Amino acid sequence: MRNTTNLRNEARRFDIVGAGKRYAADAIPKTASTASKSRFAKGRFSKGRAGKGFPVFSAAVLLVILLGCIFYGAFVSSDPSRMALDQINVAPCSSHWFGTDTLGRDIWSLIWFGGRKSLFIGALATLISTLIAVVYGTLSGLANKTIDSLMMRFTEILLSIPSILLIVFMQAVIGQRNVVGISIIIGITGWMSIAKMVRTEVRKIRESDYVLISRMMGGSFSHVLRKHLAPNFFSTIMFMIVMNIRSAIVSESTLSFLGIGLPVDIITWGSMLSLSEKALLTGSWWIILIPGVFLVITLLCITSLGEYLRGGGGRIHGNL
Amino acid sequence: MKKLILIIVSVLLLSLITFFMARLAPGDPLVSYYGDRVERMSMDERQHAIERLGLDGPILEQYVDWLKAALHGDFGISFKYKQDVLTVISGRLLNTLLLGGIGFILTFAFALLLAVVCAYKENTLLDRAICKVGTITSCIPEFWLSLVLILLFGVTWHLLPSSGAYALGMSHSVASRITHLILPLSVVVLSHLWYYAYMLRNKLLDETRQEYVLLARAKGLTRRQVMWKHCVRNLLPTMIAIMAISINHILGGTYIIEMVFSYPGIGTLSFESAKYHDYNMLMVLVIITGIIVIVGNILGQTISERIDYRMRAPESDGDLFADEKEVSRNA
Repeated sequence: MRNTTNLRNEARRFDIVGAGKRYAADAIPKTASTASKSRFAKGRFSKGRAGKGFPVFSAAVLLVILLGCIFYGAFVSSDPSRMALDQINVAPCSSHWFGTDTLGRDIWSLIWFGGRKSLFIGALATLISTLIAVVYGTLSGLANKTIDSLMMRFTEILLSIPSILLIVFMQAVIGQRNVVGISIIIGITGWMSIAKMVRTEVRKIRESDYVLISRMMGGSFSHVLRKHLAPNFFSTIMFMIVMNIRSAIVSESTLSFLGIGLPVDIITWGSMLSLSEKALLTGSWWIILIPGVFLVITLLCITSLGEYLRGGGGRIHGNL
Repeated sequence: MKKLILIIVSVLLLSLITFFMARLAPGDPLVSYYGDRVERMSMDERQHAIERLGLDGPILEQYVDWLKAALHGDFGISFKYKQDVLTVISGRLLNTLLLGGIGFILTFAFALLLAVVCAYKENTLLDRAICKVGTITSCIPEFWLSLVLILLFGVTWHLLPSSGAYALGMSHSVASRITHLILPLSVVVLSHLWYYAYMLRNKLLDETRQEYVLLARAKGLTRRQVMWKHCVRNLLPTMIAIMAISINHILGGTYIIEMVFSYPGIGTLSFESAKYHDYNMLMVLVIITGIIVIVGNILGQTISERIDYRMRAPESDGDLFADEKEVSRNA
């Protein structure tokens, strides 16, 4: 089980990366051969590709989407939730740039208005799961061996259920169909992997002198966490936090699309897509494609930002 | 034997957690069983109904009762279907295992192929192009990819059926089943392919940096020979271990895809039961999924231990400082 766990961890860290991006040889876990390390020392880098630049393009696109969603009022004049019953399923034209949906709402304004809530849910859910993960991971990391392994066993059991099923289960059980409710559910089902990482990092530094002294001097749990532990592991989990935003947005849109998440009148990219069943019958491609493309572009930008945060460097030449 | 105990303990804990979550939930399970009739019930009738569904007494007692019944193969009745939970599930489990199983094998077959191509052509235009396209496909949510494929192949070109597992009254026709499987299967494969292909590609690139590759090349083996005879062979135990832990990821994806294609599997069932607050059913589905994943994990570990002795887990607490860095779970 332990071995599988380690591999799972490794599996997770090699998430998706764009073309030609490399990770540093010293970021490879212990499996990296000593041979390659000695080569590393000799400086056999592919120098041209060492390091990874800031993904300017992705960040710019994300910024445009973010600003557009926040200040949508400045360039969208029509009320997004207005249903014009005489203009149902209008294909993209000059008056409706992206057409209208099956309820007669203008998709161009829906996109910007809905993106607000989609991104907000991503951020709030991630905030919740990060908070839980940091507290749980630190507690587990500081606890004695028995409690630590019990707490980790618990996270492993939760990790063995597909997250979407866990979310669906919680949603059925708690059943709040509003923005905050759904963020909480996604948040409390998505903390496990970050918690495991926090725990590992805490285990590494719990014996260090400054933590020990701080605890001996009577520093409370939250003091030690805030002043000594969090600054140490924050940069390590930052990348996972960004990826968590991504999966939270996907979870919300999937739930809303399936009709378990947000209802149609709470506009998000996911709930816009929940109309697509009707759209399929009429062949109105714009109702399906346009919100989805926005969703995918946002996810792509978040991914490349996350990859940047994970860091990377050069990789030595292959022997092949 | 130790592994069997591990499985049993994990499943018991899982059932305990889900049971408590379901029972402590707000909302009235009677409503999902009796519908609107609940409001017209007298107190006596209500009490009787609660007893009949086993909803009375302290939760721990309820759990013990439920567990006793479960050990006899009685997992309670579905509030929605008014049938034994197992009867409803058993008719659909096979469909899910078919879709998920074939999807799982195809995903890893293609992932290995892509990884080999990328590692063989490392840093060339082909490698970078595959990486770029792969990154994009991995960012597409499963449900939306399904929608686009239905729109293209089902609605626009009328090439393939877009819902169900077989045409009406054709449940025994293999051809009908295959045509109904093509679209959902392609989504299962496409949406998970790059995640694993990239992982394998990186592992393979690490492999090509080993000293033995240099030796083999110096000995006069061609690149292709080294790749297939040495590198890929060394990659296989790792790949099996990755396969074992990827089960919950792919199964979760399969559930969503089933729902979009209204494929009669346990994924569709779980979303339906979530909609109708049928948590007796949902609980069993969560537990069954957990069992599949846990058994898969342990099976994978056993196989890789058989293949490669070094994969055997250390008994010491060596994992204390193990490099546990993970990416958040993809939904």
